[in-house]
Amino acid sequence: MKIAFLRNSLRIRLLAGTLVWIVISMTVAGWGLGQLFHQHVEAQFDVELKNHLDQLTAQLILDEQNQTQVRLLPSDPRLNKPLSGLYWQIDRIAAAGEQPTKAVLRSRSLWDETLAVPADTPADGEIHQHRIEGPQAVALRIVERTVTIDTHSLRLIVAANESLMTGPIADFKGHLWLALGILGMGLTFAASMQVFVGLAPLRSMQDALGRVRHGDARNMEGTFPSEIMPLVNEFNTVLAQNAEVVERARTQAGNLAHALKTPLSVLSNAANVPEKRDDDLARLVTSQVDTVRKQVDYHLSRAQAAASVQVPGMRTAVEPVIQGLVRVMRRVHADRQIEIVLLPDPANLAFRGEEQDLQEMLGNLIDNASKWARSRIEIQVSDESGKFRVSIDDDGKGIAETERDHVLKRGVRADEQVPGTGLGLAISADLARMYGGDLVLAKSSLGGLQVSLILPAV
Amino acid sequence: MRILVVEDEPTLAAQLAECIKSVGYVVDVAHNGVDGHFMGETEPYDAIVLDIGLPQMDGITVLKKWRASGRTLPVLILTARDTWREKVAGIDAGADDYLTKPFHMEELLARLRALIRRAGGHASTEFVCGPLTLDTRSSRASVDGTALALTSHEYRVLAYLMHHLGEIVSRAELTEHIYAQDFDRDSNTVEVFIARLRKKLPPGLIETVRGLGYRLNKAQ
Repeated sequence: MKIAFLRNSLRIRLLAGTLVWIVISMTVAGWGLGQLFHQHVEAQFDVELKNHLDQLTAQLILDEQNQTQVRLLPSDPRLNKPLSGLYWQIDRIAAAGEQPTKAVLRSRSLWDETLAVPADTPADGEIHQHRIEGPQAVALRIVERTVTIDTHSLRLIVAANESLMTGPIADFKGHLWLALGILGMGLTFAASMQVFVGLAPLRSMQDALGRVRHGDARNMEGTFPSEIMPLVNEFNTVLAQNAEVVERARTQAGNLAHALKTPLSVLSNAANVPEKRDDDLARLVTSQVDTVRKQVDYHLSRAQAAASVQVPGMRTAVEPVIQGLVRVMRRVHADRQIEIVLLPDPANLAFRGEEQDLQEMLGNLIDNASKWARSRIEIQVSDESGKFRVSIDDDGKGIAETERDHVLKRGVRADEQVPGTGLGLAISADLARMYGGDLVLAKSSLGGLQVSLILPAV
Repeated sequence: MRILVVEDEPTLAAQLAECIKSVGYVVDVAHNGVDGHFMGETEPYDAIVLDIGLPQMDGITVLKKWRASGRTLPVLILTARDTWREKVAGIDAGADDYLTKPFHMEELLARLRALIRRAGGHASTEFVCGPLTLDTRSSRASVDGTALALTSHEYRVLAYLMHHLGEIVSRAELTEHIYAQDFDRDSNTVEVFIARLRKKLPPGLIETVRGLGYRLNKAQ
């Protein structure tokens, strides 16, 4: 789950890719630069040692007593400071039948120490390098050569503390890694900024889509980068087409109703003239026309709702719809002197769906209540976590508990229809269920029926 | 009582006219919105039956225009689209009631009677003036329980006077409300109907207000 999330996040993909690349580059650069510096410092160090060796060689003489002497001591002050880390030493190589003499001459810095050089005899003019342990058990790097003056074979050695070389290298490497680390962090920050800024349009696209889904907007609004704009335009086209299809379905359904119902009126009126009213055929026509009308109403309302249930971005404020219907009831049922009370809805709840469908559901219910109420109807809209509830209470005679289920299921089958009973409740219940809502009948505190319509809110 | 029917389907319009006439009303028929609007604007009708789906000018527009120019007469709209949206639109445009096609003629007549009655401020379908009773449901009049034999024109004159009980009704007003638009009118015939009615009714019930018209005497 977590790994899938990581793999599926565009941001994390981009960031991880950049990060891996930064780490690899920094490591390679750090290692490479370190190596280069190491080689460079080592070479410099060796050149310095050889210089000292050359200087020593040039100043080497034999005095009158045939003793080896250095005419002019090398000038580096470290050679005079005891145990400074830079030393020289001259050994005498044994001729035939002689004992070799160590440290015929040595720098003052050696004090009374002797450099224990491994047995080696470089050919004339060759310079050899070794690593040995010197005074105070410090690692030394040495260069040596063999010089022969007359019969004297001498071994000239210059040595230096390795730490004189490794110290600066370690220092440099420390600074190098610190600098590279800072650079890496800077790059990482820059990369995350780039990802954040680069992906920001996706975020605003998501917001725009969210507004469409919540019904706050009919299509995706705003300007997007040219890479995303075609996607947004395509999506808006799909939305518009959807709305158009629904509108067309609605209009066609309405036209069909209109086309069917006027002829039905004519037919029913023709069968209803007083002279023919008791005729069997007339009675048949009248009852069948009634059935056709109910079936047309029922299936049309279903077809219309089915079309719009699938359209996103629908939002209908509930209260204005109820107010419109209450105006109709007050006018139409003016004779009956029923008080219709619409309790205020402070939350301004909105229905996630088409206005016409909400009108259809509530219209049927309020009309029913107006027919059955004795003197008072109360309508209340309340919030129900993600849904809303419209309860319609009347003080009529109500419906017995055992009858309630039956009333809601009535309607689809023609033979179940009771003459004079509307399909209002059944149609409303059906529409509500198509929207994922429900219709509940209960006993009202006013004494009659309480009908509650529960629908998805925006 | 004079009724205007605005309906574009000829057969239905004829059936409506026939049926409304049969209960003693006078009926004019218009077959499109423009004619209907003009007639409703210029002729003094007591109620109008208006189809919503009309050619040239739709019913809602016609109704809004009437209301905008101050016509307050009751209007019953007929809708083929049985949607609450249409009903709300109709009522908000100023309709007093609606009927969905197909409907039963009895239903239409009952609604029409109720509208006319309500417009006159009457609560019952029976109108009483002293010994005289007029039942608008059966289109009959009786004096002390004895039914009167009235011709259709006599009934219309009496019904109009009863709906405007205690008011003075001019001869011209009576003429306009008992004849259809295309009828050859002669205001003298109103006097003939009044004279015949007076013979059938208790004396003094119909007063003549000199220079103004007639009035039903409530005190009688």
